[in-house]
Amino acid sequence: MATEYFLRMGDGAKIFMSKEDIMADIEAGCADAADLGDIPSLSEDEMEKMLDIITSPGRIVGVEPGMEVPVTHDIGAIRIDGDQGNSGVGIPASRLVGSMIHERAFGADTMELGHIDYSYKPVKPVISQEQQTMEVCQQNMVIPMLYGAMPNMGLYYTPDGPFENPGDLMKAFKISEAQESIKSAGDHGIRDMVWIMQRLQHVGCDGVNFDTIGAAGDGDMYASLNSIEALRKEFPNMYINAGMAGELVLGMHGELEYDGTVLAGLWPHQQVGLAAKAGANIFGPVCNTNTSKTSAWNLGRSVTFMKSAVEASPIPCHVDMGMGVGGIPMLETPPIDAVTRASKAMVEIAGVDGI
Amino acid sequence: MNQVGVLFERGKLFLPHVMMAADAMSAGVELLQDELASGEGSAKLGVIVNGTVEGDVHDIGKAIVSTMLQAAGFEVHDIGRDVPLQNFIDKIKETNADMVGLSALMTTTLQGQKEVIELLKENGMRDDVKVMVGGAPATDAWAKKIGADCYAENASEAVVKAKELLL
Repeated sequence: MATEYFLRMGDGAKIFMSKEDIMADIEAGCADAADLGDIPSLSEDEMEKMLDIITSPGRIVGVEPGMEVPVTHDIGAIRIDGDQGNSGVGIPASRLVGSMIHERAFGADTMELGHIDYSYKPVKPVISQEQQTMEVCQQNMVIPMLYGAMPNMGLYYTPDGPFENPGDLMKAFKISEAQESIKSAGDHGIRDMVWIMQRLQHVGCDGVNFDTIGAAGDGDMYASLNSIEALRKEFPNMYINAGMAGELVLGMHGELEYDGTVLAGLWPHQQVGLAAKAGANIFGPVCNTNTSKTSAWNLGRSVTFMKSAVEASPIPCHVDMGMGVGGIPMLETPPIDAVTRASKAMVEIAGVDGI
Repeated sequence: MNQVGVLFERGKLFLPHVMMAADAMSAGVELLQDELASGEGSAKLGVIVNGTVEGDVHDIGKAIVSTMLQAAGFEVHDIGRDVPLQNFIDKIKETNADMVGLSALMTTTLQGQKEVIELLKENGMRDDVKVMVGGAPATDAWAKKIGADCYAENASEAVVKAKELLL
């Protein structure tokens, strides 16, 4: 009987597979990305390296010395104070304390302040509180401190916002009305996001993280790219991270454009050029984990997408890694064996500049 | 529409395009109504109640599934997101639905899918209603564990699975 190696399914379940079966899954995952994105698959050597990483005997693995990359944290201090649904550990701590723990105990290279709702829209009524907290963080911390939240255009549609829900309109075959609603929500979102970041820049914020761009489809990306462009014009030295929600920009509108490019249907290597053009300093490409496939399949697919984004990118790529992204299983507390293997593969095979 | 479904799945066409195609197909079928055998082409494939379970406010994925099912010819009653579990039962009774679709995007709300199945059993409805589950943390193994009839990974697969179960 062939030796079997421990790995996981995309939902985190432990499984054991032979080297041959793991390699077959890596090849299939790479092929899926190459087919969908019309990008090169990984080479045989790269797939062999991935196989070595996955079958490495240690519980955790690490990058080779000299290949360490910056690590940036999202969601602010909620990881300390939040409950398990937020991947938090439920330790009561202020946001300042949480951020400083990340800086001084966890070795974070940059950090962000985030509100518990973690979307831009709900920050508007509490902007003074966010400004005060940001100012205190800036006075106490050394590493770059950004403000982060999700563009989350979903909050602009009924029942949460003023614009009619495009999903409802679409089901009623009101296609142009749905598209108009998405565009209007996007324009409203641009005003909100720019306004919020203007206020935070005034108290010494180092920059902004647009987290999960495209979560509500192409309208979400339209709003984010235009916000980035406006902020870059007003704050030439501001640090801007454009982090995506998934590998594909879904076309809820279908025809929205940025700089003459239709946003719907863009894959990571096509998204990054637009983010750079809008004025982002860093791009955060994402590949979602398929819970029904093995971590070998997911990692092969994810690294293939990320490698093509890195190669196409004029700016550094800090890949999004965590619960349900980057080849890591979909679990509230992602298993360390999968996290370290996926991270090592991203750095050493995809060549990402940071995580 | 089959070809549109393939292109949708590959990220080449999107919801508005699917709806435009479905609209055009309906108009075409209407024009050809007299040429077709009585009723053929216009009959609904089945009645489906679809929603995101209580505690979970995610709407978009479920809305895409509803739209794709509708475009494929099913009568779909989308009852929204964060839906109290009893509402699924009430709507199924009201519409005499053949299937219920249960969406959950969070591991913490997945349990709601199981609880709806339990409610169907308690109400003596389980044998008459097929159950489809979906959402990022759901899997085929989860569907089997809770006694659902199927798991669909995405909107295109939801259409295929619904047809398999109801036709």
